[in-house]
Amino acid sequence: MRYLAPGSLKEALDILRREDDARCIAGGATLVAMMNADLVAVDVLVGLGRIAELSGITETDDEVRIGAMTRHAEIAASPVLTGALGVVRSAAGQIAHPAVRNMGTIGGSICHADPAADFPAALLAADATIEAASAEGTRQIPIGEFFEDYFETALREGEIVTAIRLPRGPAGARGHHVKFSRVDGDYATVSVSAVLVMAGATCSYARIALGSSGPVPIRVTAAEEALVGSPLDQAAIAEAARLLAEAADPVDDVRGTTEYRLMLIPRLLARALNTLKDGETASV
Amino acid sequence: MKIEESFTVQAPIDRVWEFITDPEQVGPCLPGCEEIEVLGPTTYKARIKVALGPIKTTFKVDVEVTEERPPEFAASVTRGEEGGKASRVSADSTLALKALDESQTEVTYASDVSVVGRLGKFGLGIMKKKAKSMGEEFAAKFRVRVEGDGARAAEASA
Ligand SMILES: Cc1cc2nc3c(=O)[nH]c(=O)nc-3n(C[C@H](O)[C@H](O)[C@H](O)COP(=O)(O)OP(=O)(O)OC[C@H]3O[C@@H](n4cnc5c(N)ncnc54)[C@H](O)[C@@H]3O)c2cc1C
Repeated sequence: MRYLAPGSLKEALDILRREDDARCIAGGATLVAMMNADLVAVDVLVGLGRIAELSGITETDDEVRIGAMTRHAEIAASPVLTGALGVVRSAAGQIAHPAVRNMGTIGGSICHADPAADFPAALLAADATIEAASAEGTRQIPIGEFFEDYFETALREGEIVTAIRLPRGPAGARGHHVKFSRVDGDYATVSVSAVLVMAGATCSYARIALGSSGPVPIRVTAAEEALVGSPLDQAAIAEAARLLAEAADPVDDVRGTTEYRLMLIPRLLARALNTLKDGETASV
Repeated sequence: MKIEESFTVQAPIDRVWEFITDPEQVGPCLPGCEEIEVLGPTTYKARIKVALGPIKTTFKVDVEVTEERPPEFAASVTRGEEGGKASRVSADSTLALKALDESQTEVTYASDVSVVGRLGKFGLGIMKKKAKSMGEEFAAKFRVRVEGDGARAAEASA
């Protein structure tokens, strides 16, 4: 196995085009473990760590842009991720434990596309766009089209995720991510990401996504419609949860049976919505 | 890991039986099946490619049909391993056909699969879902094959 550490994106893309069996390595938290377990074999590892343009969080009036190599810890502490984008910040802060948060990157997380990961649902709730580059150019992938199946994404051979772009969201929006895990620091048994706008006591905007509930994060527009126009009372939340659970198809494994996971959906949804409704800032 | 699924085919039971017990017909319907070699009346070999995200592998399996009661029941034992890699797979499977009426057959298959070795470390929950979606893909392809050919045969004889 060879390890290459290109200093620019262009160089990295050239390597991917040239080499037959090359794979990017970001934080390595997952990839190294998989290689050690002999689950993945790679001829050429392309380290992305030296490519400055892939790191950091920048903002414009309309959007916040998170470089693919940005660590979870930096995202969890970012003062820029407020309002609707609090959903992404709170998800970052709940991933694993500090050691993993200092190592793992947002690009690595979404490219690995673990159905139990926290970012996928949070990014779906935040209406993110994934920017991917290849030797042919750059393209923008709406988050709803990025995840395709367990550990499968729309990313093509030779493509590198360069950034995650987050629109500011509607005025007054707030976002929050809640997860249930068996033990502290574990992947979610189920997670719920929510972005809300409250107009007085009435919900005027809702965007909700479920994690750990199927091959890809799940969003159900009818569930959001059940919340909009309501005071987020028990009945509205129960109806939204029912519609979400109907669309869920969770696995049955060590982190919980299918039935248990379905049972968690209404509880986590209520927790996420009540936190946002009561106006607490998305703290983690 | 236990899998049990059923699906309905728009074809008479004898015809479904003939197709489903013929490795040359079934092979192309099996997701990832790259090669199938008939060794004898009740034994065959198959090469099946499986991918789960970054994990990609090929299993070489031997299938032995241990019991056959045409046109409604068959049992088989599958043993196999990854080419050069450290996982072994084995499965005890049964297949049951039931005529719903003259032109419709219900196919039910059940399999108790075990994977040991490196792939055994992988989450069972997802493997089970993966097996289910491969089963659905099989059912869809099998239907097209049996029903499509049936339709053509009916046309030819008309
Ligand atoms: C003990 C432990 C606990 C964890 N708990 C959680 C948890 O609770 N919640 C959670 O969400 N996650 C959890 N994770 C996952 C972790 O947070 C990271 O998301 C994960 O390790 C992937 O990020 P990485 O930077 O390490 O990627 P790597 O391991 O370097 O790469 C992962 C995959 O993505 C590809 N890749 C990486 N970057 C790019 C890119 N820019 N473009 C194209 N392909 C790329 C690689 O080729 C590889 O296939 C946990 C991980 C560990 C080890």
